[in-house]
Amino acid sequence: MIYLLNRSVSFAITLLLISVITFAVTNILPGDVAMMIMGTQSNPEALAGLRESLGLNDPLVTQYLRWIGGMLTGDWGTSLVFKEEIGPLLLQKMTASSLIVVMSMTIALTAAVPLGVWAAVHRDKWQDTASSTTALLGVSLPDFFWGIMLILLFARALGWLPSSGFVDPGEDFLRALKHAFLPSLALGLGLMAHLTRMTRATMTGILAQEFIRVARAKGLPERTVVWRYGLANAIGPVMTVAGLQVGYLFGSIIVMESLFNYTGMGWLTYQALLNRDIPLIQASVFVIAAVVMLANLIVDLAYVLVDPRIRLG
Amino acid sequence: MKGFLNAKGLIGIVLVSAVLLIAIFAPMIIPAEFATKMNMRARLDPPSLEYLFGTDQLGRNMFYRVMLGARTSLTIAVTAVAMSVAIGLPLGIISGYFGGLTDNVLMRLVDTLLSFPALLLALTISAVLGPNLQNTIIAIGIAFTPFLARIIRGEALRVTQMPYVEAARAAGTTDALIILRHILPNIMPPVIVQATISLAFAILAEAGLSFLGLGTQPPRASWGLMIQASRDYLDVAPWTALVPGAAVALTVLGLNMFGDVLRDVLDPRARAGG
Amino acid sequence: MKRRDFLKSTSALLGGTIIYSLAAPMAANAQPVTGGTLIWGHSETTQNLDMHQTGTASTGRVLQNVHSSIVTVDKDLNVIPNLAESFEQSADGLTYTFKLRSGVKFHDGSDMTSADVKYSFERCKDPATGAVNFEVFNAVKSIDTPDPMTVIVTLDKINAPFLSRLAENGAGVIMPEGSGDVQGTTPIGAGPFKFVRREFGNEVELARFDDYWEGPAYLDKVIAREITEPTVRLTGLRTGELHMINDIPADRMAEIKSDPAFQVVTWFPLNWDFVNFNHDFEPFKDPRVRKALDMMIDKEQLLEGALWGEGQVTASPSYPTSASYNHDLKQRAQDIGGARALLEEAGYGPGELKVVFKVTTNYPYHVEAAQIMLEWFREGGVDMSIEQLTWSDWLSQVWVDKDFQISMMNFFTLWEPDFLYYSLWNSTGAFNYRKISDPVIDDLTEKARITTDPQARADIYKAVQKRVFDETHDVYLWFRNGSIGAVPGVGGLDTIVHPNGSNLNFHKVWLQA
Repeated sequence: MIYLLNRSVSFAITLLLISVITFAVTNILPGDVAMMIMGTQSNPEALAGLRESLGLNDPLVTQYLRWIGGMLTGDWGTSLVFKEEIGPLLLQKMTASSLIVVMSMTIALTAAVPLGVWAAVHRDKWQDTASSTTALLGVSLPDFFWGIMLILLFARALGWLPSSGFVDPGEDFLRALKHAFLPSLALGLGLMAHLTRMTRATMTGILAQEFIRVARAKGLPERTVVWRYGLANAIGPVMTVAGLQVGYLFGSIIVMESLFNYTGMGWLTYQALLNRDIPLIQASVFVIAAVVMLANLIVDLAYVLVDPRIRLG
Repeated sequence: MKGFLNAKGLIGIVLVSAVLLIAIFAPMIIPAEFATKMNMRARLDPPSLEYLFGTDQLGRNMFYRVMLGARTSLTIAVTAVAMSVAIGLPLGIISGYFGGLTDNVLMRLVDTLLSFPALLLALTISAVLGPNLQNTIIAIGIAFTPFLARIIRGEALRVTQMPYVEAARAAGTTDALIILRHILPNIMPPVIVQATISLAFAILAEAGLSFLGLGTQPPRASWGLMIQASRDYLDVAPWTALVPGAAVALTVLGLNMFGDVLRDVLDPRARAGG
Repeated sequence: MKRRDFLKSTSALLGGTIIYSLAAPMAANAQPVTGGTLIWGHSETTQNLDMHQTGTASTGRVLQNVHSSIVTVDKDLNVIPNLAESFEQSADGLTYTFKLRSGVKFHDGSDMTSADVKYSFERCKDPATGAVNFEVFNAVKSIDTPDPMTVIVTLDKINAPFLSRLAENGAGVIMPEGSGDVQGTTPIGAGPFKFVRREFGNEVELARFDDYWEGPAYLDKVIAREITEPTVRLTGLRTGELHMINDIPADRMAEIKSDPAFQVVTWFPLNWDFVNFNHDFEPFKDPRVRKALDMMIDKEQLLEGALWGEGQVTASPSYPTSASYNHDLKQRAQDIGGARALLEEAGYGPGELKVVFKVTTNYPYHVEAAQIMLEWFREGGVDMSIEQLTWSDWLSQVWVDKDFQISMMNFFTLWEPDFLYYSLWNSTGAFNYRKISDPVIDDLTEKARITTDPQARADIYKAVQKRVFDETHDVYLWFRNGSIGAVPGVGGLDTIVHPNGSNLNFHKVWLQA
């Protein structure tokens, strides 16, 4: 209980810090909102007037308090470029991206766990080398390069899957999946490589432990030993690593969604950055950091539930 | 040195030295104009004897571009990682060695920064500073600092608890001397391993930034930039993407393999599955 | 279907405006049918949806279908009636009388009256609106509405381009009275399609307006998907996700044109490009330096390199078929040796002139053009580097802050010469971001505004072009071709391009069932 309380307080403090950092960094971005609103019609006088009316001339602390106050009361402001309320906009884009994040995580785990276990079981044999080499290759290619290759193969050459665009799952679930598939696969490949290495490492450690030896000595079939006893103990650490990869995924979707024209959170953040849509940059960077932190917190808490020893620590 | 002798280590060493040699010597042998020289009569030509890796959309020789791009990519990666080590090292050591409130405050900050995906951080910084070679380095360097600081702090904390450090303390040795004599030498091996692996990430990050137009500027040859430019010509000239993509892959692969082996040798504790 | 090319109007010299060709067209005997949703892969992102405030061609291209202007132009750019069924200019040139067409309905169901016209004009004139074309109404003294179908506009001084400026939606659009507040989010007009929704950066949806005064359109809906990536657009067309796309990637043009699976419409010109010097940057205050850089550029080769030859070089930005196009001007040929000598004369030895070329990634072919020019400039002894800017950075650094040395931009064919020359080269012009301040040009552009004789006016503009060329204020490069690719089932493509070469009009476009 105390652990939980502790974590919650520290979560709140970090969240506050995230907001301060986000606000500070976005405020030194060159070019401003007023310029973006006026575009080619900008002239110094009109700009000055617009800046004043947008409150861009107020001291930074005032601007920060106004911003954080708005966030707390649910008023996230309006995107300058999208001309939409930021709250609902982020919710919608976050949903779009969740589809990709969940799909790529699923793809990665389904492939990585068996591969990693397989390599661990056949440690230092050709199976191990094959699996490690594949994994290494996977981590070594930029994920957008995977993306390009997948477009070439599945969209251009085979014509099986669309190469761009986003479809709302609520509108047409099957089409939504089709559109999300290639970006998810591209992300999943890199992630899979990473998780394969982790699974292998964890499994190797577990298979060397006493209780496995005991299980084997009792004459249990190898299959049961590996999958029931071994994997059951490896799954916790593997999930932890997977959870920590959420941050990596949210960095990668920026490139991937731009490549696939998939209008999710990464695409939105990139658009916001390109267009100097400061309120939107602030909100989306903040939300991404918060989601990453939340993912880490959930992983931590799940770990506590699974492994009671941590409470002592 | 046994670890270096296995096949993986060998490949890693060969790849890393090859890229290093290319990065150092290619610009001395190949005049810079070769990478920017255009030929409007040889646009998007497939690989041939004349153009080993084909040409790009402006008829530039991809072979020269990818060779000269090695220096760009490595320079950025090495400088950026050096920068994050340079910042991360004092922060991590102070935090780990002195502990207490300093540690608490610094690590809280580092943890906060770690919640920002590195690429997002680099992208935002690059957007703040404006895109050019120097700023790309700064952006990647800053983005990687929290990660390295975290690792260095852990190592420093571990070494600080060693009996010989406690003994030195009891003997009245000054903190500065302890850090110089005991902490620094003992944390270097894992730091070197982490730095090598970070190099691989830095190369990927540079490619990603340039791909989004916020990294290296044309006409300088950079692998990420080359991949970006290839997007419009993918289905007619796939080599424009495959050549720089392979260059990135081989370099990162080499660094990863080299890093793994380095870890086995320098930092056996961390050996996966140990 | 047998492939054939034909020219809609054979040549610019014969007076046709847009040289329009259609490859692999739908069979001529096909009959238009009503219904269907056309999905268009639009090459650019729409911005501010308020027709008065928007400065981007991308938005105007889409809103062309939502709005109608008071007058318009025919193919030869003559001003013709539109929402006004007739117009009349008084002998002293100060009073314009518009007789409105009856039975024109807005999308909100209301009937258009003179009050709406007065409202629209006054909104555009009001500085608080922030209209791009507000200065069209500068000389307007009063707008009177003696009856619901008559509007009388009185000027206090002659403004020769007044009527033709009203032929573009930017100034001539008629919106229902009081609709100003919603125009930015849900534009309401009297055009053939109603605005349904926009998801910024993703798509715009339009639906047929059954009460359109020229008769309802064929299509039920038009969905404009904003896909800026050229190859992605092309793939969408190939896979059938899109019915049509604009701006076929230049390097693929030959291939797509010869592919019987596509209809291709090309026209000339779509827009024009030029290289800019910041006239406040010390070295560029010397016309010899500007001229030397001009002499380093081989325009034909640059066109080939950056646009795969999909355009035509020009020494004048005037609409190629218009009276004000100065045919006597010829671009300077590349002469690197001469350029070096000229630079030397101006005091810059090899490597002594250092310049930064700021170029926006919004137009990828600009980035390529800059790289090609960099090679020539280097040969000419100029130490140049390139800085790529996002569109917003380009706007803020180059357009607003004038913080640049060399840049490059394109403009859509501003066929109205006053709009073109006054905005871009008059020292007070709205688009004069290069800080050009040339009294000769100022005098000429002011004089043109009060010159009503068309020939005399055209001659003034020719003199402006000659001055810009002689002083090398900017370097004109080329007119770029426009293009549309469509699947075979799209009909009416010969009607789609607006005479201004930029806007697309879907009124007579239809889909085969």
